[in-house]
Amino acid sequence: MQYSSQAVAKPYFIAAIGLFVGQILFGLILGLQYVLGDFLFPEIPFNVARMVHTNLLIVWLLFGFMGAAYYLVPEESERELESPGLAIAMFWIFLVAGALTILGYLLVPYAGLAQLTGNDLLPTMGREFLEQPTITKLGIVVVALSFLYNIGMTVLKGRKTVVSLVLLIGLTGLAVFFLFSFYNPDNLVLDKFFWWWVVHLWVEGVWELILGSILAFVLIKTTGVDREVIEKWLYIIIAMTLITGIIGTGHHYYWIGTPEYWQWWGSVFSAMEPIPFFMMTVFAFNMVNKRRREHPNKAAVLWALGTATMAFLGAGVWGFLHTLAPVNYYTHGSQITAAHGHMAFYGAYVMIVLTMISYAMPMLRGRTAANSNKSQVLEMWSFWLMTIAIVFITLFLTAAGILQVFLQRMGENPLPFMVVQEKVALFYWLREIAGLVFLIGLLTYVASFFVGNDEPEAKTAG
Amino acid sequence: MQPSDEGRAVPGAAIAVVAEILYLANLLIAPGFAFALLLLLFLHRRRDVPPLARSHLEQTLSASLWAGLLLILVASLILVLGGMHGAHTWVILILYFTLCHSTLVVFGAYGLAKAMAGQCWRYPLVGRPLARGCREIRWQ
Ligand code: HEM
Ligand code: HEM
Ligand SMILES: [Fe+2]
Repeated sequence: MQYSSQAVAKPYFIAAIGLFVGQILFGLILGLQYVLGDFLFPEIPFNVARMVHTNLLIVWLLFGFMGAAYYLVPEESERELESPGLAIAMFWIFLVAGALTILGYLLVPYAGLAQLTGNDLLPTMGREFLEQPTITKLGIVVVALSFLYNIGMTVLKGRKTVVSLVLLIGLTGLAVFFLFSFYNPDNLVLDKFFWWWVVHLWVEGVWELILGSILAFVLIKTTGVDREVIEKWLYIIIAMTLITGIIGTGHHYYWIGTPEYWQWWGSVFSAMEPIPFFMMTVFAFNMVNKRRREHPNKAAVLWALGTATMAFLGAGVWGFLHTLAPVNYYTHGSQITAAHGHMAFYGAYVMIVLTMISYAMPMLRGRTAANSNKSQVLEMWSFWLMTIAIVFITLFLTAAGILQVFLQRMGENPLPFMVVQEKVALFYWLREIAGLVFLIGLLTYVASFFVGNDEPEAKTAG
Repeated sequence: MQPSDEGRAVPGAAIAVVAEILYLANLLIAPGFAFALLLLLFLHRRRDVPPLARSHLEQTLSASLWAGLLLILVASLILVLGGMHGAHTWVILILYFTLCHSTLVVFGAYGLAKAMAGQCWRYPLVGRPLARGCREIRWQ
């Protein structure tokens, strides 16, 4: 670690991992409720568990992005963070606000929570992923602005690199698009139209810039390939992201009451969205092939290559699968969507955060470059367990989705929704088993932080 | 690992990259047409190019042939044996095709990354033993 203020990243990473465990536990509850409808009812209804699962995901990824930025930016800017104290204060505010919100979901009926938090004053609640009480949303804005100030000042006053500028643009975009969560028109078409400006323009727009810059940073550090080469790749990747992803938003405007031309714009542009993800795969492997040194942190390199591959499969391939309007006409809102959502979120954003944690955490904990061999071996086991588990979750959900579409939406005698759900229950059971493997992988991951700490650092072989 | 400086191109790298791009194009945008070009390139140039290029030509041709077998022949077989109207046919066919196709594309991405770095690479399962003069180089 070159700058002492990079240390503020550590609590962010620890909180991220803790909330990740919570997310997965609620995922397992949801999965069981799919097959045992009254499991934990009335204590934790499905809609509440779903909200907790998805909101924890978003919140811990945000913790991860912020931690990543706090670690990366001082090193790129070659100066200390503008205000480490502000970063720590915001950490606690975000953590407490997040915890209170989750407790609110679990302890108060949702309508009551809306009343309690004064939703009538500025109604923003009740929409998927944006369920947070308005006051929590305001808190998120405060945290995001302080964070941007802190990171922005550090970047602007220090050395400016392509990596840190792309990261800054991505993070600014993240904050700006979140503001659309405050726009909640009565007109359902308008509501949905701008809801996607948060959801889609995040994951298929500005978050991809964050992903690209973190990946580039870790590759520069672990491969020793010239910065200029890596920056060129980064430029092309983010250009392709924005060229395809912005108008690609149209793939959500097929059936919500927007004009028909969106079926063309959405199909054509979103069909090209896999390109930047594909380029990331070639990029990451090409850089590792050209590496000038062996980095002792093999686990971090594995995570980086894993991210590049799984993001392409989850976002690129499974996204393309249902993105053309004539296909989406049948698959819209089916289990195919959930299959894609799981592999894309894991492959792109979970894995890039874990890549950064894997790279930075050894230094944050006092190592010079890497953990002991023992710890790394366990970490790599967790990589494979979680990654293979998410692949199987995706495959089982895809199978369920194809059957669902076939039985419920095609043919002469389409069956009712619930009849079909019973027929695909086998796949939901299999998904739950794969989910258990995921949990085992995650616990292995957590364990990797506690083993081999008294053993010497891994050295580069030969 | 071989140190390969950027800038100083390894002999045969350009043709190796072209071979990988044609392989990918055959899978992604110009099925058949890109394969025909790859086949022509293979037949005409295989003997007079450096080992790196020969190796990539051989690997991509072999993988393309396998791709044809797996994606056209086996997929048609699933359809014929399962029947157009069985729900399970479609579950198996779509899963099978997506898995096979995306795995082959990811192999192509790895192959392209290798070619650009001036290194040989053997396609897993669908490749061929490496050409002489090509030492297999792993990423770790
Ligand atoms: C890392 C990037 C991505 C992530 C995290 C992601 C995640 C998601 C999620 C969670 C949903 C469900 C939203 C809902 O609740 O309705 C979704 C929907 C969708 N995604 Fe993605 N996605 C990504 C990239 C892509 C790409 C590159 C494509 C196209 C090639 C794509 C195509 C779609 C489509 C068409 C839908 C709508 C499905 C429907 O009609 O039900 N996604 N995505
Ligand atoms: C133990 C593993 C997991 C299980 C059993 C599980 C289960 C579930 C279930 C049952 C849903 C609700 C789907 C619905 O409303 O019909 C869901 C939604 C969701 N989960 Fe998970 N999950 C797991 C892991 C994950 C992971 C690791 C991620 C992210 C990387 C994730 C991201 C999501 C997202 C984005 C949604 C919303 C999907 C959509 O709108 O289609 N889950 N999950
Ligand atoms: Fe989208």
